Amino acid sequence: MIALIRYSFATVLHTQRYLAPVLLFAGLLGVLTVNGSGPLPPAYASSGGALFICATWLTIALTSLDDPAQRSIVVVSAGRSLKVLIGSISTLLISCLVLMVVGLVFPLWVGSYDVRAVDLLLGVEAQLTCAFTGVAIGVLCSRLVFRRQGYALVAALGLVMVLLFVEGLPPVNRLFTMMATSSDSAELLAPAGGMMALATALLVAAAAVTQYLASLKE
Amino acid sequence: MPRLEAVSKRYGRGRWILQDVDVEIPAGSVVAFAGGNGSGKSTLLRMVVGLSKPTRGAVTGRPAVVSYVPDRFSPNERMSPLAYLTHMGRIRGMGTHAASSRAHHLLDRLALVGGKDAELRTLSKGNAQKVALAQAVLVQPQLLVLDEPWSGLDASAHGVLAEIMTEVSGAGGAVAFTDHRESVTRAHASQTYTVKQGRVTLRGPEAVVQRYAVTAVALGMPGHGGVPQEVEWGTIAGVLSVAARGPGALLVEVEQDHADALLLVALRTGWSVVDVTRAARSHRVQDSVAGGNAR
Repeated sequence: MIALIRYSFATVLHTQRYLAPVLLFAGLLGVLTVNGSGPLPPAYASSGGALFICATWLTIALTSLDDPAQRSIVVVSAGRSLKVLIGSISTLLISCLVLMVVGLVFPLWVGSYDVRAVDLLLGVEAQLTCAFTGVAIGVLCSRLVFRRQGYALVAALGLVMVLLFVEGLPPVNRLFTMMATSSDSAELLAPAGGMMALATALLVAAAAVTQYLASLKE
Repeated sequence: MPRLEAVSKRYGRGRWILQDVDVEIPAGSVVAFAGGNGSGKSTLLRMVVGLSKPTRGAVTGRPAVVSYVPDRFSPNERMSPLAYLTHMGRIRGMGTHAASSRAHHLLDRLALVGGKDAELRTLSKGNAQKVALAQAVLVQPQLLVLDEPWSGLDASAHGVLAEIMTEVSGAGGAVAFTDHRESVTRAHASQTYTVKQGRVTLRGPEAVVQRYAVTAVALGMPGHGGVPQEVEWGTIAGVLSVAARGPGALLVEVEQDHADALLLVALRTGWSVVDVTRAARSHRVQDSVAGGNAR
């Protein structure tokens, strides 16, 4: 598994396809949190949103990198295609962890917020929820499921919009609503944890569905 | 070793690409699949290695270490061949150092042109194919499957490819490959299946070769100046050929069982026996055993 993750990182770093989504993340983070003040949860909701979009894009970019022959060699070498998919998802989650640290620290650095430990914990939960959901959408809209990149892009964009803006829809929109309206982070820890669990379940389900649909196409 | 039992394949609701395929790839053998473009050879190989699932039927007995060389390997990859092979070796469970030195060795053996440190995407088709071949033998495979491996490779690499296939089968592994040219499959395979219109049939021995012993009798003018009689050699039982060898000299080939009778006739009619040699001749019996259905 470590070998697969190293290989994924090597291909993605060589192609530089990570640059556009990472720049978008940095841009959103800057616009949404620079010179902010007051309670932290709304700021972390913003960085969570940036991570959500970035994770989706990054996932589509990474899972569409290998050409089919190259992928078939990796699958045969690794033994199972599920192993390769899990390797890709792990690579993405590690990347998201790095971005998450940036998303947690950057608002503290550029803004003047009231910082408490419990805010940071809520921030971690929120960002993980967004990362998991983003990767889940990305995997579902990857080349493994959609052969046409155009359709994949439209589907991903639609799902991102729905999850961001349909009011009260868990996990992402519900979480953001909670974080924007309440300033007591301690009170939000438990519901945010619930959202995170839901997002984890979504990711597992998305991976399973992708694996199934991809195997039908083979 | 892998065995396809009553395997059929189609994508979605499309046409059947393969139907009722029964194929076995025994250990220590080299099995070829010959067929034209689009005949379903590649799909068959993808099911053998497990990349593709059969719509009906089953593939059983696939060993643990499988290697696959796809027909087109043109990665849009900035990684170097050496780094790529090292990654593939690690995915197969090798240590970084072992994988890297094995990669060096294989690239030298295959005479990769264009540099071990060049970007993969800058390699020519043949050199990319060499990298694809190298990744397949980083670890000695128990099942080596190659899709059109001879295309694109230069002549020197052809020899290495044949050696690699012999090494794998010699070590008790199974080798399967496809090619559209029958001369290639005949030269390298111990068994050849023909893939045509979704059906796969085992071809029998190329042609049954009969070998039998022959006696060549060289006849000449007798020393005492007599003239031998004219003989219709072709009418004598067992005579295969008659050739004139200069004035008054003949070479008659006869089946061994009929040699004595021929000599008797020759001596009686006044010929002198110059030489009698034994030889073996082989005779092709075309299509005497037509390729039976694989089932």
